[in-house]
Amino acid sequence: MIKLINLTKMYRGLRAVDDINLEVREGIIHGFLGPNGAGKTTTIKMMAGVLKPTAGQIIINGMDLAKQPSEVKACTGFIPDRPFIYEKLTGSEFLHFIAGLYRLDHHPALVKRVTALLELFELIHWADELVESYSHGMKQRLIMCAALLHQPKVLIVDEPMVGLDPKGARLVKDIFREEAAQGTTIFMSTHSLEVAQEVCQEIAIIQAGRIIATGTAKDLQKKAGVDGNLENIFLKLTEGKRLAHAKPLSSA
Amino acid sequence: MVIVGFAFWGLMFLLSTRVLLYFQSVEVIGDLLAHHLLSMVFLTFFSLLIFSNIITALSNLYLSKDLETCHASPALLEEVFVSRSIYTVADSSWMVIVFGLPILMAYAYVYRPGPAYYADLIHMALAVIIIAAGLGIVFTMILVSLFPAQRTKDLIMLLSIFIIVGLYLMFRFLRPERLVDPDTFFSVTQYVSALKAPDSPYLPTYWITEMLWASLSKGQGETRLFYAVLMWSTASAVVVINIWVARAIYFTGFSKAQEAKRRRGGKKILDLFIHLFRRPLGDDLASIVEKEIRTFFRDNTQWSQLLLLGALVVVYLYNFSVLPLDMSPVRLEFLQNEIAFLNMGLAGFVLSAVSVRFIFPAVSSEGGAFWILQSSPLSVRRYLWGKYAFYVPAMLCLGEVLIIATNHLLDVTPFMMILSAITMFMAVFGIVAMGMGFGAIYPKFEYQNIAQVATGFGGLMYMIFSALFMGLIIVLEAGPVYIIFMAHVKGAPITPMEWLFIIPCFFMVLVIIAFAVYKPMKIGLEALSQYE
Repeated sequence: MIKLINLTKMYRGLRAVDDINLEVREGIIHGFLGPNGAGKTTTIKMMAGVLKPTAGQIIINGMDLAKQPSEVKACTGFIPDRPFIYEKLTGSEFLHFIAGLYRLDHHPALVKRVTALLELFELIHWADELVESYSHGMKQRLIMCAALLHQPKVLIVDEPMVGLDPKGARLVKDIFREEAAQGTTIFMSTHSLEVAQEVCQEIAIIQAGRIIATGTAKDLQKKAGVDGNLENIFLKLTEGKRLAHAKPLSSA
Repeated sequence: MVIVGFAFWGLMFLLSTRVLLYFQSVEVIGDLLAHHLLSMVFLTFFSLLIFSNIITALSNLYLSKDLETCHASPALLEEVFVSRSIYTVADSSWMVIVFGLPILMAYAYVYRPGPAYYADLIHMALAVIIIAAGLGIVFTMILVSLFPAQRTKDLIMLLSIFIIVGLYLMFRFLRPERLVDPDTFFSVTQYVSALKAPDSPYLPTYWITEMLWASLSKGQGETRLFYAVLMWSTASAVVVINIWVARAIYFTGFSKAQEAKRRRGGKKILDLFIHLFRRPLGDDLASIVEKEIRTFFRDNTQWSQLLLLGALVVVYLYNFSVLPLDMSPVRLEFLQNEIAFLNMGLAGFVLSAVSVRFIFPAVSSEGGAFWILQSSPLSVRRYLWGKYAFYVPAMLCLGEVLIIATNHLLDVTPFMMILSAITMFMAVFGIVAMGMGFGAIYPKFEYQNIAQVATGFGGLMYMIFSALFMGLIIVLEAGPVYIIFMAHVKGAPITPMEWLFIIPCFFMVLVIIAFAVYKPMKIGLEALSQYE
């Protein structure tokens, strides 16, 4: 469903994403982990069509993103890490705006779908309020509604849990599992190893722009040569070190 | 930008010098005119400073994102307040200083005062700035203590626009140009009383005017000392009062400003209006247009600019209605049509000025939400041309209203009416395309206020190219228009040689317009497609 072929992104001589190759099958929730600055968001943005790769190919649903961008984006939903949306629209107007972009405006079931999504994400009572009055978490949930509105085949998600309360986080995990069960492929970057362990069927770890490990949690365990949870595996693979216990600064 | 700034300074200085030299040549009342002008300049700048400080203080003291860090730090409330106030003063005053200095230097150039003038100017201007800032800041603090800061911002923006529009219209309808034509007054007494400045001895503007005038007219030193003490004691009092008021109400107001704004969108009227646009466009473009219209009318800082635009159009037309054409030694019919021809350039410039405020920021107005369009199936090409198609009809209406109405007021020949209407019709396509294109080449998605987008390098480039575009059209059409007009006046047919000149000129105009539509949009499209 998703194929990244020799994908590279350079910024002024710096290889933010360095020749990565990755394949994700249909209906899988694929986690994308890595330390800060590893290249996760850059990769995600290239897949969403927000950034242009320096080299390589992105194939989604059998179509090359560079050659058929509109067709690929029509079957893709993107949830970014920061919920910047149009503040002067109401929640309902924003979803209708998204429906228009995906040419769903005259779809007979659109109004029902909008209402259903707003109810699902517990935003129905805020549907006629301007987005500028929404909290960060509410905006994040509204963006999720927007990403699911056109029933995408592929969902690309960058840090979905940021700003969500525990109830919201549980809701999102449940929705992702349901979508995957219905055949939607979900490619998700996250800092939360618990979420990755709980939800993701396959995981890729990126560091300094390169994929250093990929597979199921068991595969990664074998590769790392450690037992235990994903945190230990992750830290071993990325050679994470605990901070030395620093002495407190003495006051003057 | 620096060169343009200096050029503007030079122009302001030259114009001011010219006016003052003219006043000096007017016997008896020349100095009175100069004194009156100086008073008006200070009164205007003082008013602008107060408004500017009100708006800037609201942002710097209540809405700025780094204020949370400041108030959470161990710094005293007074320290935070004073530091932000100093920043407010600097932020809101620099433009008034930039615009005012050439005028005040022109006075120095014409009247050749001693060094005391410059010393007085510096310290008295500083005191005026402090007083204006103090008044603006204390007004803001009181307003915010009564209303939530977000609501206060909208109120102040709206109020400012209404007052500026009102002052602008009032100033124009007072017809100050009569002051340079004493023949319009029956007697000297009537004329002199018309010169009396709307000023009061209790205002700082009166003190600085009198003090500087004393230096300019080489007056007595005692007056200067009196006004200096008055000014600085008032400035000190204003600072102290500000700190007292800040201690009492500033933090309460800041705390209130953290409340989120909750407002429902007004739908029904906009729905009707939007329905008109949906049909000719596809779903995706119709959604973009709908979003633009809703956002525009729900953002007070955007739609209130229409008030300024309305005032601009009214004054523009009014200027033409009061042109003293009958006083010109040149033949009337020739003059009317010559003005109508040059008016095309002026109207084109007005449209460019409107475009830089509304069309140039059209791409940037997506703000941080631009990723939505980048990740959607809507192509950049369709997006940019779709927005272009949306703005063209509005600008066509404005352009044609300006041209046809002014030509009607000038009572021009049918040929000139048709020529200028058609020229403006076609030029609008180029002006809008350049606005969209340059806006896409120089997008600014991170902004505090959409009005900031037009004031950068991209906006300046657009205005320059737009002026060049209109200038080229005028130059190319000037020759053929002259030939056609003179043929009409003489009652003689246009010769074949003359047609050989006329046709290529008009053809070149078409080529330039087509180029002005195609090239900026093409470059803008490429730039936006590559945007990261």
